Amino acid sequence: MELDFKYLVSRRRLLRAGACLVSTAVMGSRLSLASEVDEHELNATHGRASLAGADAPWTPVWAYDGMVPGPTLRVQQGRPVRISVVNALDESTTVHWHGIRLPNAMDGVPGLTQAPIKPGESFTYEFTPPDAGTFWYHPHADSLQQIGRGLAGALVVEEADPIVVDRDLLWTLQDWRLTKDGQIAPGFGSMMDAAMSGRVGNIVTINGAPPGDQTVRAGERVRLRLVNAALARMMALRFEGHRPIIVAIDGQPCEPREPQGGRIVLAPAMRIDVVLDLQGDPGSRHAVTDDFYDGLAYTLTSFVYSSEPPLRANPLDAPVRLPANPLPIPNLADAVRQEIVLQGGMMGGGKLKGVGGMVGMAMPGMNGGPAWAINGMSMTGDGHAGMAPLFTLQRGASCRLTMRNETAWWHPMHIHGFSLSLLARNGESVPHGQWQDTVLLAPKDTLECAFVADNPGDWMLHCHVTDHQMAGLMTVFRVT
Amino acid sequence: MKMTYRLAALAVAIAMPLPAVAATINAVMYKNPQCSCCESYATYLEHNGFKVDIKPVNNLSQISSDAGVPADLEGCHTLMVDGYVVDGLVPVDIVKKLLTERPAITGITLAGMPAGAPGMGGAKDGPFTIYAFTKDGKAPTVYATE
Ligand SMILES: [Cu+2]
Ligand SMILES: [Cu+2]
Repeated sequence: MELDFKYLVSRRRLLRAGACLVSTAVMGSRLSLASEVDEHELNATHGRASLAGADAPWTPVWAYDGMVPGPTLRVQQGRPVRISVVNALDESTTVHWHGIRLPNAMDGVPGLTQAPIKPGESFTYEFTPPDAGTFWYHPHADSLQQIGRGLAGALVVEEADPIVVDRDLLWTLQDWRLTKDGQIAPGFGSMMDAAMSGRVGNIVTINGAPPGDQTVRAGERVRLRLVNAALARMMALRFEGHRPIIVAIDGQPCEPREPQGGRIVLAPAMRIDVVLDLQGDPGSRHAVTDDFYDGLAYTLTSFVYSSEPPLRANPLDAPVRLPANPLPIPNLADAVRQEIVLQGGMMGGGKLKGVGGMVGMAMPGMNGGPAWAINGMSMTGDGHAGMAPLFTLQRGASCRLTMRNETAWWHPMHIHGFSLSLLARNGESVPHGQWQDTVLLAPKDTLECAFVADNPGDWMLHCHVTDHQMAGLMTVFRVT
Repeated sequence: MKMTYRLAALAVAIAMPLPAVAATINAVMYKNPQCSCCESYATYLEHNGFKVDIKPVNNLSQISSDAGVPADLEGCHTLMVDGYVVDGLVPVDIVKKLLTERPAITGITLAGMPAGAPGMGGAKDGPFTIYAFTKDGKAPTVYATE
């Protein structure tokens, strides 16, 4: 990770962020005072990063503590955290702790849950993460630019009793649209991006650097935490010659299983934890590819085995199932039913069911209008005061939520404040006990999920293709 | 009903090609990998004397803006043909007019995805305005209406 060190505020924090390889042995021996508040500080500021390789020019970025990604915050399940966010940008910001079930006032949505943090001001977020797992943080103000220029970081909530692995790896994946001279390309909010697949970029970085080879050792077992911190780029990762086992999605443990077709589909804002037994031969090389977009497959990185002899003769014989998180189980027999329908966008092949039912409009989103809607209603932007809730749930009620995608595009729908139990996709039940805060809907998909409305407040539900959110694919619901 | 219109439009495109030109015209189409109407438009061009090389790209808005297409007049794909940029679902007779007249412009565009345009379904609900644009910062002008 090459960065401009003059922007780095705290050496301590730099060291912490650099220490992404944490062995469980170290984690297990860490002394923790569970009751003591875990204090952190984040500075949203300007920096520069080397995103396209050593020979390419520096890219000016907006970044937490001047680093891309921002420092990895490692906190502990059930231990109170206090994070002071200082805004050194030239515009207002907030921080959303994506996937964490926390008090509404800490959720980071401008206008809806807090006043925006003005330049030069700060805000202290306080919460106690109930769930262990892989989460992330990002601004929820001027989201296209602020995330697109680099503001994002991983938030790892550690279990008291983690599974046994040799290394705990984290890949924070970011996607950048750069010009030929290495600058962040202008054109944020282009109506074409908004009405199609969002501002997908041309450079993908792992932990803020162009993906070089990943050196591994034969026989080791790693837990790899994948975080898609891109504005819009969906990924479908294949680990050539390996059999990754998915152990958690969006931070929430699931029954360990291999991905369908060996392909790990990771939409923007999703996280997937996999366990990899590295059983290749010493000295061998294996590509990690992303083939989500037709005709645009590429090699993201490669596992390169050192020549050392295997760490052990046989794969580690230890369970990979993560301890369950304390999620409230919905009572389906007595659940309130709600349905949201995703509408709008550019048509894929003359099949538009457009906003307001128009067919063949000039272009959705043209002339500053919204490109998308939920149940016929477009909430645009990042969040603001006076957003009327689409529906209201009584606190404690179970809600069975149907999401229907009428559009020709993919949408990772993110629910704030809750995790959704996945029940069925297109009529077929979803196995493996999956809970997600960001559920991906393919074009025309219908998804059934459920949650317990145990957390009061006005909560957002929006697409995490940031352009889609900004252009109307967003709603709010209330828990009394 | 939409489907009927669509099939009818395709039938017209196939049955009544414009007067054939001597040689195949080569074109390169940059399109979003998930947008399928552009492919119908490429097929329409191929029935009318073009050879279209389709290149899926994720940063289409960047490519079209680099090509000089005004942001408020973007079509759903960008075609490079014989030194010109043709953005969006421009009817083929207008593309051929451009390649014959060879005006001093960067290209032409039909904004958005209007109903009834080649590659789209639906009935036309008004005339299409095709704009000419240049890269010298001048305002776009009307190149043709149809
Ligand atoms: Cu988020
Ligand atoms: Cu979306």
